Amino acid sequence: MEAMIEENGPSTHEQCEVSSASQARQKLEGLLNKNMRIRMTDGRTLVGLFLCTDRDCNVILGSAHEFLKSTDMFSQGEPRVLGLAMIPGHHVVSIEVEEDSLEDTQGFGANH
Amino acid sequence: MVMKSAVEDDDAGWGLGIPEKMKNNANWVNITHEFKGACKELNLGELLHDKLFGLFEAMSAIEMMDPKMDAGMIGNQVNRKVLNFEQAIKEGAIKVKDLSLPELIGIIDTCFCCLITWLEGHSLAQTVFTCLYVHNPDLIEEPALKAFALGILKVCDIAREKVNKAAVFEEEDFQAMTYGFKMANNVTDLRVTGMLKDVEDELQRKVKSTRIRQGEQRDPEVELEHQQFLALFNRIKFTRLLLTALITFTKKETSSVGEAQKLVAQAADLLSAIHSSIQHGIQSQNDTTKGDHPIMMGFEPLVNQRLLPPTFPRYAKIIKREDMVAYFSKLIERIKTVCDVINTTNLHGILDFFCEFSEQSPCVLSRSLLQTTFLIDNKKVFGTHLMQDMIKDALRCFVSPPVLSYKCCLFNNHQAKDYIDSFVTHCSRPFCSLIQIHGHNRARQRDKLGHILEEFATLQDEAEKVDAALHSLLMKLEPQRQHLACLGTWILYHNLRIMIQYLLSGFELELYSMHEYYYIYWYLSEFLYAWLMSTLSRADSSQMAEERIMEEQVKGRSSKKTKKKKKVRPLTKEITMSQAYQNMCAGMYKTMVALDMDGKVRKPQFELDSEQVRYEHRFAPFNSVVTPPPVHYIQFKEMSDLKKYNPPPGSADLYMAASKHFQQAKLILENVPSPDPEVNRILKVAKPNIVVMKLLAGGHKKETKVLPEFDFSAHKYFPVVKII
Repeated sequence: MEAMIEENGPSTHEQCEVSSASQARQKLEGLLNKNMRIRMTDGRTLVGLFLCTDRDCNVILGSAHEFLKSTDMFSQGEPRVLGLAMIPGHHVVSIEVEEDSLEDTQGFGANH
Repeated sequence: MVMKSAVEDDDAGWGLGIPEKMKNNANWVNITHEFKGACKELNLGELLHDKLFGLFEAMSAIEMMDPKMDAGMIGNQVNRKVLNFEQAIKEGAIKVKDLSLPELIGIIDTCFCCLITWLEGHSLAQTVFTCLYVHNPDLIEEPALKAFALGILKVCDIAREKVNKAAVFEEEDFQAMTYGFKMANNVTDLRVTGMLKDVEDELQRKVKSTRIRQGEQRDPEVELEHQQFLALFNRIKFTRLLLTALITFTKKETSSVGEAQKLVAQAADLLSAIHSSIQHGIQSQNDTTKGDHPIMMGFEPLVNQRLLPPTFPRYAKIIKREDMVAYFSKLIERIKTVCDVINTTNLHGILDFFCEFSEQSPCVLSRSLLQTTFLIDNKKVFGTHLMQDMIKDALRCFVSPPVLSYKCCLFNNHQAKDYIDSFVTHCSRPFCSLIQIHGHNRARQRDKLGHILEEFATLQDEAEKVDAALHSLLMKLEPQRQHLACLGTWILYHNLRIMIQYLLSGFELELYSMHEYYYIYWYLSEFLYAWLMSTLSRADSSQMAEERIMEEQVKGRSSKKTKKKKKVRPLTKEITMSQAYQNMCAGMYKTMVALDMDGKVRKPQFELDSEQVRYEHRFAPFNSVVTPPPVHYIQFKEMSDLKKYNPPPGSADLYMAASKHFQQAKLILENVPSPDPEVNRILKVAKPNIVVMKLLAGGHKKETKVLPEFDFSAHKYFPVVKII
């Protein structure tokens, strides 16, 4: 990919940065509307559609379901429907995306 | 979809947690690092989003880990295990048999507190259903507790049904959701009351067997046991009486209302005994005085945390046990009052009853019971009278229209009958809505009163047309009689009442600011009350005309001279009260204008609006009414212009005039035979205001820049003016 960019334009240092930003943007755009699973600092996990993010990694999930930590053997494992939920970036512990929905996209997780 | 997720500290743990049921066994790929890296490349403030998803949608997302929005946080931060009923039994954390008396008393009292908190507008999941026992009474082996759990469920179920049926609640009043809990639907009402009665009888035997016998050396332990048995007995009996009373309300016969009244009265008799035995029950282990949820055996405040809707978390403050009895006794007082409605048969009387009842800001249950008592399922008033007949009676009492008079030829005229019947039928829905509006909470009533004016405007139009049609019919048949503005007067009367109530309720709800008072009081005194009084006197003369005709007919038949006795005119009281109200409003209007002249009314800096904008907003609902026509701001300014007087009055003149108005109100009210509390309340405002206005007229504290205070504590609509 980088080669492609180099072909398309002069490769000054500045433009390289711009392209890496646009590449990142492309990557993230490829993830939009994919099923995502995010673990939060308090151990809860949210599963929902990735709708929106920003520089601070605040993430908005659509039709989100909330799962409790399963180390708690008494939680029934039933999810709680949350709907539209925003997870502040500093509370995001890990992000996962459903593999099936990745097939048609490149960039993320392909080398995982 | 049932999903389970296992989260271990290392990211590799993800795979282990994926359950078999996970849809299409999706594999999750960890992208944390790349994702966070990619995010850093975004510009500050840039949102990466789908075309269909914008900042606007983003605003409505709930923010996780914010205690004000994230209801899931609370449950997660508690260190104890949250057990449901079955789990608690398995773990031995909860007893289902051999409960001690203090345990039973404590559990029952806490349940009562939860019930009250629910009735005050919290969700069942956070109140009654924090008691694990009511989740599944079948698992309880202790008969007293089982009967009680079923009883409380039935009470909730019937209360919910009543409130739902009456439909006079909004989300701030009542949460009707049951979250899928079974409300003891598999057991009949009769079976539950029977079980409670059995337990009650058994307890009564125990109470008797532990009773002090003559000459017996009292064992303090037996005495304590006796007290505890008695405490439990009273609680079970109270539950049974409350439940039976509610069941009685669901019956269709009018006589059942009287029966319900008796039952709640019996329940009320137990309350002092319940109050004095509260200390016999086990207490919660945490400090509940600040409204925290009680944590004790049988209760788990967080058990339903996961059932709550994805809105911001609401905290249910369970009321204190000490306040429980006071609440119950007030509730029972209200229910007793509700039962009295069946003694009022006139529609106007019923309307007044609803207004008066609503003035105490009653709870949603008593409001709903009043509604369902008034209009039973069969759409008949108290289950016996047709609404149309009630309306005809009300018309007859108010304006005695010839068409409804037995002595008039129109009474049996087919065409006239059709006219009046269709009019009355059209009236019945708006009047039912009007009565229903008075069942809503005070704040919602105002809004709804504004809207119903539209329906009354339509009725007004029809009333005038029917009057005209009936008049031309009557002219042909009985030229000496008239049918002018009878129905119209009646509808106009209700129009004015609604408008007046709409404006006055703004004072009660503290909607107006001080600089708005003058035009509100002006509108009331110069316009609405003036119209109301002329409407009432027209109705009165219409009544008199009808009576004269009746008398003449009686005279014609019997030669006996009927002695003309002075009868109290039925509308006298209302006319007098309107005069008093008008004087109070006029007094307040002049006070406000004079205070403004003296620079003692703080006015806002009108930048984006003007007084006209506010004025028009305040009277906007009146625009749908044709009679009386709305007074527009320009008209108001012209009509209230002081320059038309020569010389224009100064503030001292206006204070003096205001004082005279208050004086006049006082005179009128002091001559009211058998004054009701309302008369006394107005007098409490009128008297001090007479004095204050005289002082102000004499220049008292003219120079002070301190703004006057308006004290609405004596009366909701008229303040005592205080100069500091």
